[in-house]
Amino acid sequence: MRKWTSVITAALLTLSLGVAGCANQGQLSGASGGEDILVGVLLPVTGNNATDGKDMQNAIEMAIKKINDGGGVLGKKLKIEVADDGCDPQMATTAANKLVSQNVVAVVGGYCSGATLPSSGVFKNANIPMIVPAANSAKLPAQGYDTLFLINGLTPDQAQTAADYMAANQAKKVALVHDNSAYAKDLADFAKAAVEKSGGTVVAYEAINPEEKDFSALATKLKGIAPDATYFTGYYAAGGLMVKQFKQKGVFGLFMVGDGSFSEDIIKIAGADQAEGLLITATPTAEFIPDAEAFTTEYKQTYGNLAPGPFSALSYNAVNLLADALKRANSTDHDALKKAIKETKDFQALGQTISFNAQNTLDTSNFAVLKVAGGKFTLAK
Amino acid sequence: MDILVQTLADGLVIGAFYSLIALGYTMVFGIIKLLNFAHGDLYMLGAFVGYTLLSLLSGSGTGAGLMGIVVVLLLTMVIVGLIGMGIERVAYRPLLLAPRLSILITALGVSLFLENGSMIAWGAQYQVYPLQLSHDGWNVLGAQITYTQMGLVLISALLMLGLHQFISRTLYGKAMRAIAHDQTACHLMGIDVHKVIGLTFFIGASLAAGAGTMAGAYYGTVNFMMGFIIGLKAFTAAVLGGIGSIPGAMLGGLLLGMMETAGTFVFGGSWKDVVAFSLLILILVLRPTGIMGEKVTERM
Repeated sequence: MRKWTSVITAALLTLSLGVAGCANQGQLSGASGGEDILVGVLLPVTGNNATDGKDMQNAIEMAIKKINDGGGVLGKKLKIEVADDGCDPQMATTAANKLVSQNVVAVVGGYCSGATLPSSGVFKNANIPMIVPAANSAKLPAQGYDTLFLINGLTPDQAQTAADYMAANQAKKVALVHDNSAYAKDLADFAKAAVEKSGGTVVAYEAINPEEKDFSALATKLKGIAPDATYFTGYYAAGGLMVKQFKQKGVFGLFMVGDGSFSEDIIKIAGADQAEGLLITATPTAEFIPDAEAFTTEYKQTYGNLAPGPFSALSYNAVNLLADALKRANSTDHDALKKAIKETKDFQALGQTISFNAQNTLDTSNFAVLKVAGGKFTLAK
Repeated sequence: MDILVQTLADGLVIGAFYSLIALGYTMVFGIIKLLNFAHGDLYMLGAFVGYTLLSLLSGSGTGAGLMGIVVVLLLTMVIVGLIGMGIERVAYRPLLLAPRLSILITALGVSLFLENGSMIAWGAQYQVYPLQLSHDGWNVLGAQITYTQMGLVLISALLMLGLHQFISRTLYGKAMRAIAHDQTACHLMGIDVHKVIGLTFFIGASLAAGAGTMAGAYYGTVNFMMGFIIGLKAFTAAVLGGIGSIPGAMLGGLLLGMMETAGTFVFGGSWKDVVAFSLLILILVLRPTGIMGEKVTERM
């Protein structure tokens, strides 16, 4: 009796496997053999960063739909194939190879720099152009790949934006504070160089522990030094408490934070009163981009009143840039497309004008200075 | 001068938190020779219970006035005190006669349980306390000392004074001191040892919870990992004062807080923990009994 059951189960299993295999095959041939232009999308759609990844995918789908509704590109429709890099170097390599084997025309994606580093190598070997909307480690352009294009500003750009704002507001004595994380220290180092280049002096260069809650000693110290501006390059949890305690202690001067602290939570933690006037250097999200209202409204309508995330406007721009380059190349050939993307000149997109420099990164950075006014972020003049 | 006063005042506030937590460490060690490494997590639990109670209070529209804060503080202390007793009953009492190492490892397990349990209950992100305390204060010799800081130090002092009175004046306090001397003899004398140990855990946990709620209100953010490092610091404070000694824990906490703040001022913020734990190593090498722990046999 028992033997029979197992035989039947085995038979059923084999059968179902066969069916599933067939289904897979059908899908594959449909994707590669159709009339569509296949665009690979490489994002973390599972894991810790899935929220941002999903949000970027939404924006990409929105852009694709809009392009297809307007007649597509080169007489064909665009179609995306999403692969999950999970923000993990190994997963990213596998996912990138999968996209290569499906013969995608180009790739849009790359959220974590750690995962984008290996995947960009895979696309380089296959000569497939990749447009990266989010990842912005300086290590990416340093690889020197001619297939890799970054449309998000890099860390030195952010430091420059901060230094420019300080110089414009007569802040000559600058205190820099970082939290010892690789990212924050990098930004602080670039800021130091940028401030000194623009004629200012760095009067304090301090490190804190990211989990620290008590910044009274730091506040006392800086109060004695009296900097014109303090720039904190770490994350919002420490940033918020620092803003609060600096106000409490009466440390004067501007207080500016980097994009790691660009979160509504920093206002909540510091308290709306204390956060008033706080400056943030960041790539503005869709809601702060003057001409992106239509995008924000449409995004909210399409995705059940969900607000666009930090990288949705950039992802949207990446797809539009690709479509534009495809038109200019008038071909889906990798080399022609690569050349067309490289030759992009003053492409008007949401919140940025895209031209590439020799490193295939933005010619003019998209970083801006935001200011907290009335408990909300606004673009600083 | 103003910098010195400011540093001492800021250090006093941190030191008061350390003292309150160190008391629980030292009391539990005094009575059952257990280094309760889950103690820092009771501080975290106190911060979260206080957060929930305050959210309920301000959610009902009444807002958390000064009375509200005091009521929340007391309620939190009772709730977490009971949790502390429960932990002793479930995790430590069955191991009371086992080798000390087993119970120490259990304490680490309890710590992990509390941290991850809180993460599930309240989430992994930072929660913001639903109140903003006043930033007004006095100007003492050029240093800015807020009413809030004064209030926190005052409440801590009252709690410690109350504990001191309890230990030295009441029958239960006497029983605690007796058990610290000789547990078996106390059994023979008809003292309900388990009850007294349970009471010790209650007091220790509620003092830590009090510190947690106050720290949450003072700094404004709470997180499930906030008890870990401060637990180690409080342990340092207890060792500094002489583990097992109650006045030692109070003194050790205050000293550690002030030295740490001064060290941060001199060496920079990233050296804060280095200062604290270097102190621990120094004390262990130079004077393992701590400042007040003169006689190892006599505790509390």
